[in-house]
Amino acid sequence: MELRRYLFSRAQQVVITFFIIMTLLFILFRVAPGDPTASMIDAEMTAEDVHRLYQQFGLDKSLLTQYLLYLKNFFMGNFGLSYHYGEPVLNIILDRLPNTILLFTTASILYALAGISWGKIIAWKKGSFTDVGVTFVGLLTYTLFLPWFALLMIWLFSYKLGLFPLNGMISPEIWYDPDAGVIAKVGDVIWHLILPLFVIFATHFGGFLLIMRSSMLETLREDYILTARAKGLVDKVIRNKHAAPNAALPVVTSLGLSLAFSINGGAITETVFSWPGLGRELVFAVSNNDYPLAQICFMLIAAIVLLANLVVDILYAYLDPRIRF
Amino acid sequence: MADHKPIFDEHVKKLPTRKAFILAHLAHSRRQLREGWILFRRNPLGLIGVVLLGMFAMMALVSFIPPHIDPMYQPMTGVDPDIIGSHGPTLKHWLGTDFIGRDILSQLLAGARVAFAVGISAAVMSVALGTLIGLIAGYFGGSVDTILMRTADIVMVLPGLLVILIISAALGQLTIWNTVIIIACLRWAHVSRVIRSQTLSLRERSYVEAAKVAGAGPMRIMFRHIAPNVLPFSFLYMTFGVTSAILVEAALAFLGFGDPSTVSWGMMLQWVWKTGHMFRAPYWLIPPGVCISLITLSFYLIGRSMEEVVNPRLRGDA
Repeated sequence: MELRRYLFSRAQQVVITFFIIMTLLFILFRVAPGDPTASMIDAEMTAEDVHRLYQQFGLDKSLLTQYLLYLKNFFMGNFGLSYHYGEPVLNIILDRLPNTILLFTTASILYALAGISWGKIIAWKKGSFTDVGVTFVGLLTYTLFLPWFALLMIWLFSYKLGLFPLNGMISPEIWYDPDAGVIAKVGDVIWHLILPLFVIFATHFGGFLLIMRSSMLETLREDYILTARAKGLVDKVIRNKHAAPNAALPVVTSLGLSLAFSINGGAITETVFSWPGLGRELVFAVSNNDYPLAQICFMLIAAIVLLANLVVDILYAYLDPRIRF
Repeated sequence: MADHKPIFDEHVKKLPTRKAFILAHLAHSRRQLREGWILFRRNPLGLIGVVLLGMFAMMALVSFIPPHIDPMYQPMTGVDPDIIGSHGPTLKHWLGTDFIGRDILSQLLAGARVAFAVGISAAVMSVALGTLIGLIAGYFGGSVDTILMRTADIVMVLPGLLVILIISAALGQLTIWNTVIIIACLRWAHVSRVIRSQTLSLRERSYVEAAKVAGAGPMRIMFRHIAPNVLPFSFLYMTFGVTSAILVEAALAFLGFGDPSTVSWGMMLQWVWKTGHMFRAPYWLIPPGVCISLITLSFYLIGRSMEEVVNPRLRGDA
């Protein structure tokens, strides 16, 4: 019951935050120097034509009207035409969105789960060789510079060893072949997915590992662990059923906080691997001064982060009844 | 130290009150710093971090020397007349040259300088801002608190790199100092939350009550009584802030949005990548990445050790 109320209030927050971000973006682009129609104005055009151009883009209306039009267009899905591609932005976005979700969600789930499960194992074995070794590896990969690590991985695994494709998400030979089956196509995407997935996974799981480890070490000092041991429970049961669920709570909180950072990493990875996703599209759009596409890419990515935060908060509320109010 | 104390006390008793007070304060701070250092020293990882950091500081200082040895060692504009294109390490160029014949080692050293400049300025600015906002929010509470913290929430949720990208789309090419300011404006939120929670608990202490009774206004209480106690946390977040600022600047430069007139490690990586030397110039690809990763590691280790000093609950864990 309280969970539903909590969900509702959090959802409200998400909507308000999204509106504020939209408004800030609107202000940003109005503050920007330069005339958005400058590229379209010809020397040949008369003053009347220029005025008509302004009217067409609604630039002669008041700022408030422009803002309301902006909101209306956004919610009707009318995102305008991309300057660079010449296609409606909506089509480009719909094409890129699933790719980003595939990469980002899979990577996040993998590194969160790996961090939590390995963190709990090595905390149990504190001080042992496994503990020191895994912590060291986790720390090392966590501090590696992501773009550089991505380049190194491509150099090593794709160029030198030839195990994985150099870039992209699909191999044209398989996808444009009318005889290829679904399994071949899916397998192809997975084959392309492995290296970028590994890069995001390796650079983020170290953080979770370390947080889970220290959280676990603190939890192990609690009285109820002593009780469980006194009851004669098996080590594994104490670790997995009593200590780990409680130790995992701060990790879930930090998952929420780290989503903003991992989406940065996702955008960089997409760019380096030429994975056709929203992050890469944003980088390209900004390079090409393609304002409509850049704005919508950014908003969509912001929406994804907000929703992901919402999911994490709900998960946390489900796991820890104390915070539902 | 023990046998000096009576003589010191005798001396102090003869001083006018204000001077005595300041001396006692300084002695107390020095003692706190020394205790902090002893705790910090206990953890070998923190020392490794300090050593690494020292190495990079040396690099930054040394970076001023190469252009004076020979103009061809200038990181941005130096061109070796004998070399065309990218070559591997030689006696004249210890790490080789990049695609237009510039010395890679001098670029690496200049990058260290830029990293420190960017990292430290962005961190100091963001922590100053965050501490101020945290103090205000925590002390005044109520609607001021709510507004500030909601703003912090919104800022925290935004992916920083992408925000800088979109700002650079709107406002054009960013200079290195613009980037630093924007980074500072995005990083304050996390710091302010921590400082706020510290302020909330410190606000209830009896010395604050005493100050209020004595007629101290809110500004005086915040800065004279509460601030000194939250400063250790501020310093801690400064170490994290430096890393984060260096990483953001490097990532921006890597993607091509950095300041074209500064040579930073991220820029070097961008040049390797974009000029197609990624696969054939490991002497160019590897050093900048190693530097960025090691400086991140060093700040992380220092930050973790400092965390143990500042937060007693964490001691004896790692």
